[in-house]
Amino acid sequence: RTGRSVQPPAERPGERRMAEMKKLYGAEAAKIQAMEAAMQLIFDRNCDKKQPKYWPIIPLKL
Amino acid sequence: ASPRFQALLGGDAAAQGVRAALRQRYLRGLAAARGRPTRFCLRAGVRVDAVFGAADVEAVAFQVDALRTPLGVQAAALLRCTDVLAYSFLLD
Amino acid sequence: MNDWQRKSPLDWETYVNKMVKVAAIERHEYEGWVLTVDPVSASIVLATFLENEKVSISVVLGHAVQEVEILKEGDDEMKQRLSCIFAPEESKAYSP
Repeated sequence: RTGRSVQPPAERPGERRMAEMKKLYGAEAAKIQAMEAAMQLIFDRNCDKKQPKYWPIIPLKL
Repeated sequence: ASPRFQALLGGDAAAQGVRAALRQRYLRGLAAARGRPTRFCLRAGVRVDAVFGAADVEAVAFQVDALRTPLGVQAAALLRCTDVLAYSFLLD
Repeated sequence: MNDWQRKSPLDWETYVNKMVKVAAIERHEYEGWVLTVDPVSASIVLATFLENEKVSISVVLGHAVQEVEILKEGDDEMKQRLSCIFAPEESKAYSP
């Protein structure tokens, strides 16, 4: 056998995101991530509840 | 660690701290905009009024309410960030 | 990406607390005190103080920014005033 006996654990998306956040924001990463998550939650919830459509239908920037 | 490595680390930490402070103030600004009547200035000279709802983390779209379009009021809508040049609202 | 979007956080920070004139695409112009520049989108957040003690906030999206000219430096009093505009009230402002 030449392969490794122990496979590295599968990377989880959340961990990868946190690693990126750490690189960008250092010590403040967790705080920024929490603020972003709160904002995204409101956005997603509004979209679920109100089903907004894009306006205008055709992008102005083509 | 070499002085050069230390300088790099220091530079990195400084940039991270500044980036975090800028982002944090921006996110607070978005939170302050929620629920406020907002004028959006779009491409091609289009201006529309709406109530600011929410923005997504990746800056793709703004969710707005009561969007006054030339054809009437749309209860809820999404404005593409690529269509928007600027927007403004009042704080009291 | 335009030149403004390619700047670093340290570059953007040099504009904070200064009165600027932003030239945007399609010949739009905006003036105000820089509160912040979003490091994700490069959008500039400007504040102008109105006579009725209200504050007008304008956000110019990063993709629309062509040039930013510094008109005036902010003194300590102005910095203090600006820092209070989006006072940290996350718990209140972010509650769903």
